[in-house]
Amino acid sequence: MKLKNYFAMFLMGLMFGAQAVAGTAADAVSVNDPYVRAMPPGQPTSAGFMGITNNSKQDLVLKDAEGSVAKKVELHTHTMKDGMMSMHKVDKIDLPAGKMVMLKPGGLHVMLMGLKQDLKPGDNVSLTLVFSDGSKKQLEVPVRKIQMMMKKQDAKQHNKHMHH
Amino acid sequence: MHRSLLIGVILLLAVVVLVLGLFWEPDKTISPEIAQKPQGGDFTLQSSTGPVHLKEFRGKVVVLFFGYTMCPDVCPTSMGQLSLVLNDLPEEELAQVQGLFISVDPERDTLERLQTYGQYFHSRIQGVTGTLEQVAAVAKMYGAAFRKSEQQNGEGYSMDHTADLYLIDRDGSLHSSVRHGAPSSELLQLLRQLLSRD
Ligand SMILES: [Cu+2]
Repeated sequence: MKLKNYFAMFLMGLMFGAQAVAGTAADAVSVNDPYVRAMPPGQPTSAGFMGITNNSKQDLVLKDAEGSVAKKVELHTHTMKDGMMSMHKVDKIDLPAGKMVMLKPGGLHVMLMGLKQDLKPGDNVSLTLVFSDGSKKQLEVPVRKIQMMMKKQDAKQHNKHMHH
Repeated sequence: MHRSLLIGVILLLAVVVLVLGLFWEPDKTISPEIAQKPQGGDFTLQSSTGPVHLKEFRGKVVVLFFGYTMCPDVCPTSMGQLSLVLNDLPEEELAQVQGLFISVDPERDTLERLQTYGQYFHSRIQGVTGTLEQVAAVAKMYGAAFRKSEQQNGEGYSMDHTADLYLIDRDGSLHSSVRHGAPSSELLQLLRQLLSRD
């Protein structure tokens, strides 16, 4: 009888321990180079981009994004429809174990609708990623001009070519 | 007897109408503006400083883009790329280039807004638009297409649209297009090529 109780406690302890090791999705994810795109004054929409790496051994799911910078914050993607770029909301973004998922121009993005302020380069915006387990990751995201991002990208491509 | 003949004729007619209704389809081709090879051509649209005729830019190289200012990603990416490329040109070449941002969303894009938008990206980019019919006609000439997205939300609608950049040579002829997402070097190279011609 007594032994059985100890055993049950031991089992429960194991389970809690496992959960603690696995942690929340927010803890298992790291965010790489996030930015929100600078827009002309008065512009009501913009988008946020970043690389999201799932450092755990389990697949995770990004469910939503939040932020006080805009009236509405959603997860979006672009698809090509009849030769046209078409934007729409997605219900989730899958984060496979050990992989980085890129939110980048022309594809997945954090959509900001009904901006409450102008987005000027050098500003910071706070965004929160919400995962399917309910955990949240808060980010301070710099506002950047797209041209700056492209210059960086071009330089990267250039470097790649030089190494070949 | 007379009566049964009449009923027979009516029945026959009914069958003919039914069959026609089921199987006869008028030619419903989808997006012919994308399928045909675009020819380009002159047009007149409006800007905050008055009408803009493509003809005015003879002797210059013109870069066309169809978009809308509330576009959160695709349009600013293309305009950002164009401005990056324009900044790579020496001043005397830059003076021979005109960028035109044609709004496919005249319902929301005022001429003042388009002016601000174009200038935000580069002083050589002008924002223009017209009536929906006028813009559709220009888009058709250049092989562009657009439509209101079916997906509506609390903050308004978005537009589906093609996102290529069109290059027009000094004679006003459509020379080439650069697809969305192509590296900046491709646009720069084409621009240089057109600028080197007299
Ligand atoms: Cu979006």
